[in-house]
Amino acid sequence: MGPKAPAKQPQQVASQSIPATPASQNALDSLWKAYNDTTSSRLKTVDAFLVFLMLSGVIQFLYCVLVTNFPFNAFLAGFASTVGQFVLTASLRSQVNPANRAEFKEVSPERAFADFAMGSIVLHFFVFNFLG
Amino acid sequence: MFVRWALLLVLGLVSWATAKSSTGDSVLVILEPNLDKDNFSIFFDGLREKGYDLTFRSPKDTHPPVLEHEHAQFSHVILFAPETKIFASDITPQSLVTLLSKNTNLLIALSPKQTPLTSLAPEFSLVLPPPGTPLISHFPERDTPATVIPVNVSSSSPILTQGLAPVWFSGIPFSLQNNPLLVPILNAPPESFASDSESDNGADSIVEAADKGGEGLWAGSQLGLVTGFHALGGPRVTWVGGVDIFSDEYIQKEVAKGVESGNEQFIADVAAWTFQESLALRIDSVSHRRLNETEPRETYTTNDQLVFSTHISKYNPETAAWEPYSGIDDLQLEFTMLDPHIRTSLPPVPGTPGEYSVTFRAPDRHGVFKFVINHKRKGWTHLQSSTVVPVVPPRHDEYPRFLSAAWPYYVGAISTSLGFFLFSALWLAGDDRESKKTKGSKTE
Repeated sequence: MGPKAPAKQPQQVASQSIPATPASQNALDSLWKAYNDTTSSRLKTVDAFLVFLMLSGVIQFLYCVLVTNFPFNAFLAGFASTVGQFVLTASLRSQVNPANRAEFKEVSPERAFADFAMGSIVLHFFVFNFLG
Repeated sequence: MFVRWALLLVLGLVSWATAKSSTGDSVLVILEPNLDKDNFSIFFDGLREKGYDLTFRSPKDTHPPVLEHEHAQFSHVILFAPETKIFASDITPQSLVTLLSKNTNLLIALSPKQTPLTSLAPEFSLVLPPPGTPLISHFPERDTPATVIPVNVSSSSPILTQGLAPVWFSGIPFSLQNNPLLVPILNAPPESFASDSESDNGADSIVEAADKGGEGLWAGSQLGLVTGFHALGGPRVTWVGGVDIFSDEYIQKEVAKGVESGNEQFIADVAAWTFQESLALRIDSVSHRRLNETEPRETYTTNDQLVFSTHISKYNPETAAWEPYSGIDDLQLEFTMLDPHIRTSLPPVPGTPGEYSVTFRAPDRHGVFKFVINHKRKGWTHLQSSTVVPVVPPRHDEYPRFLSAAWPYYVGAISTSLGFFLFSALWLAGDDRESKKTKGSKTE
């Protein structure tokens, strides 16, 4: 159940990648490869959702700052929706991640997901009420 | 003379309903005793033909009174008393002003002599020359004395018919001050001046005054000879510099070889304007509504499309009736709350005679507004109307439900919810595989 040995694989990947790439590109590639190989598909789903929420929040924030903050309540509702959902999903991820099993002994993955769902529903209720 | 009277009587009966005034037919003519009524027979008969009832009286008589128990007894008063120094108590200048407030029209003739009317004229922004200075003109060359002057009639006044022949005049000029209610009808010829004798021994002082830039100079076409005044509230007053312009003698005098003077038509036009026959307008009705409705509302909302329309008619003396009139092309409407928020033109509606209508958007301010029509043109009746209407802000359910500026936030919130549901579906659906996979890796 321990992590697989990642030490060999990045080097192999490095020698097989495109020659004469800058070092930072190399580092990003290796990071991406490591991430791809080490995380389960479930966690990848969670991560994809988190990235989507972050993008959505950034877009709304940029719109507010650059264009207009006119219906400010709508901005707060939309932004809080993404931020709150991000927080809930991140906490779900950390509770469900097998690597953190030691820390969350009394919380089973199903309990974590149930908490997540409850919190999300309450969050959405507040968001749509405030959205106007 | 008798035949003339008989003919006129017959004509009067036949033309029963010709030009009558819009405000009444009773005329009081105050004729001073040294003026002969027969000398003005053409003028008075012309009035009678049109349907007026003339009553004659001298200035010192008190019967028939002009004002009785605070009511005006006559619709119009002609004051041919240019040299009377003492008036009866009901036609003193004070009571003439009271008459005006009762909507009585006045036609007043002046003379070089000083009378109580000389002190009334400045109240109408007319400055009279010093007593004893009649108008004198040495041009054109003619065989009448220098105080009897043929005056060319300008064609720009809407009161007079076009193309009138020059008019014989004798009397005083007056200087018009800056009053918007004055309506100039006849101005002095440019080569005329007011002087106290015909022998021109005061000519030097006049030339000096002309050189000094015109101060103290009573000369030129800036002087008025016949001037109207449109009092607030409707009545019209006409001041004429001399009574002879109405006389038969001047009417029948030729102004050039074979050319009759324009006096008869001129005095008929002046009398028609003064007695509110010509250029008489009135607002028949005023209405307002929202654009897509038919009935007026008690209150309107800000940013509403409002339609305002009015019906205006003009008095037609020939038919003695008020007829719809679409000829005003510069009527304006103001939508005012302390200041005019909207000022727009009220054009006539092409299909309907007499109707003027405009559509505009109520301003974004709430408050109590007035639709104001305030149309004043020289010679025409003043059109004034004001309709008060409250404009309220939108009620809580009249605002737009969804704001177009907020759609990124709507999209964000909805996509977050959809993403959550999708994620949960994926999570719950992928649960079996995940546990199998972990079991698989465990066993490895």
